[in-house]
Amino acid sequence: MSDPAAPVSLQVEGLRSGYHGVTVLKGLDFAVGDEIFAVLGANGAGKSTLLATLARLIPLMAGAIRFQGEDVSRLPPYETAGRGVGYVPQEKGTFPDLTVLENLRIGGMIGRRSRDDRMAEVFELFPDLRALQAQPAGTLSGGESRMVACGRALMQDPKVLLLDEPTAGLSPLYVDMFFEKIREIHETRGVAIVLAEQNATKTLQVADRVMVLSLGEAFAVMDAAELTTQQLKEGYRI
Amino acid sequence: MNIDWLDAFLISGLFQVAMVTGLALLLHLQLGLARIANFGVVGFWGIGMYVFGVLYVKVDWPFGDPWQFLASAAIATFVAGVAGLLIGWLISDLNTDGVLVGTLGFATAVQILATTEDDFTGGALGMGGLDFPFDIGRVKDNEFLWLVIMVAVVAAILLYVWRVHRSPYGRLLIAVGGNEPLVRSLGKSTFRAKLWLFVVGSAGMGLLGAMNGVMVHYLDVGNVGVGVTLAAMVGLVLGGTARVWGGVVGVILTVGLFDIVVQSYLPLPEEWYSQAIPVLREAAFGLTLMLVLLFRPLGLLGDMRRDKLMGRIHGR
Ligand SMILES: Nc1ncnc2c1ncn2[C@@H]1O[C@H](COP(=O)(O)OP(=O)(O)OP(=O)(O)O)[C@@H](O)[C@H]1O
Ligand SMILES: [Mg+2]
Repeated sequence: MSDPAAPVSLQVEGLRSGYHGVTVLKGLDFAVGDEIFAVLGANGAGKSTLLATLARLIPLMAGAIRFQGEDVSRLPPYETAGRGVGYVPQEKGTFPDLTVLENLRIGGMIGRRSRDDRMAEVFELFPDLRALQAQPAGTLSGGESRMVACGRALMQDPKVLLLDEPTAGLSPLYVDMFFEKIREIHETRGVAIVLAEQNATKTLQVADRVMVLSLGEAFAVMDAAELTTQQLKEGYRI
Repeated sequence: MNIDWLDAFLISGLFQVAMVTGLALLLHLQLGLARIANFGVVGFWGIGMYVFGVLYVKVDWPFGDPWQFLASAAIATFVAGVAGLLIGWLISDLNTDGVLVGTLGFATAVQILATTEDDFTGGALGMGGLDFPFDIGRVKDNEFLWLVIMVAVVAAILLYVWRVHRSPYGRLLIAVGGNEPLVRSLGKSTFRAKLWLFVVGSAGMGLLGAMNGVMVHYLDVGNVGVGVTLAAMVGLVLGGTARVWGGVVGVILTVGLFDIVVQSYLPLPEEWYSQAIPVLREAAFGLTLMLVLLFRPLGLLGDMRRDKLMGRIHGR
């Protein structure tokens, strides 16, 4: 759970970004510590844009991103990843032609710890993957492929994990399982998590703090427990 | 060895099949694994052939063959590799359309240079003086030995491709081909992997070009047209872009069928050979390409099967 004394891992200042001159994120300021930091917001609010910007896949228009004190705003994505930022996109989080095992291996290209150890940890977290090792990722079900994407990112031994709607489109059973896994990843491995979600109820149950994005602006940044239904509705309204 | 059953046509046909197979194998790594459609194959091949030809014929080497050949071929291969480095660097951030235009433009530039720099290349008139780096007797014996050497080179390329499929580098190329945006967040620069892909591929294509120059003895700008790229591409697509053996099977069925069976064994009118046959060949290849893409887009051998490959490697 949230530890206020823990060092800030991600710090975002005046962040603006978007696509081809269209500004989607209109100046965000927030910090993520050793916690599960949820990003809620309606469709098109800019959650995916924010996560992709944090992963350095979309260039900043203004502002800065600091990771563990270092300004990473101009680093290429692979260097950010090398420093410990893991990213699971909303869609297409796997390599379809490669088998599940190969997907995990390619995630483990970097990092110092033994790859076998990391692989064993991923299988421990997602035991279902064990039986699917030899299957091409392109033939997996939605839930299975989310697990592979998540496992692949964990193979990078990240210090922060950016998860973009990991439960979208999954059956209720999978949804519950995934939220549990997210908490487990945070608690047992000490990985800070930025979680973009639509499912506000479930998200508020696992998150420490929450940011409600509304049309690219931070409508609220607060403790998850303190967010009221009224605030949530207002944030989603526009 | 008695090679009387081989006529000159057959030797040159087999040589074409082997050479285009080599090109298709190299193209397979780019197109089949990394999904980078290199339409400039003939450019790298042509650079190898012309650099080799100019060095071999025009430079006053202090030593004779085979060293003269080896030195010229090594430099030609190197120069083609450097061209690959440059082109790979230029197209590394482009999308599919950009890659197509870039590589096609490069191949055109090579052809134009070969035509205009006629002091070096002989231009449209062509350049002669290329010969085998050995002489073991009859023309046919020399040609046959050269064919054997070409087959050995192509076998080496096949072995290289086979090993890439089993290596982390190959896995990275497949990842690039399947989901490039995601690869960028993996923690390793893909830029170097892509450059290496182009350097090795282009150098190999350049070597094949140099060896072709030796076989035909005469460099003609008409030879560095899109036909070479088309032959490699059609063969590969027919066999299956994603499979190691795709290029081999496809090229045998296309170039083999056309350059050997049709040209040597069909009773075609004599006057067709100079004009009609090259046109027929391109038309047949173009048609094959369309039919394959329509009815069997993954080629005869089908899609990549990493599950089977991994099963074989890990014994599962
Ligand atoms: N590649 C793109 N080019 C141009 N505009 C884009 C692109 N991707 C997203 N947008 C726009 O940016 C805005 C924010 O999109 P984003 O995907 O970040 O929203 P989101 O909060 O993740 O929504 P959802 O919950 O539906 O995933 C939207 O208005 C969208 O139309
Ligand atoms: Mg989204």
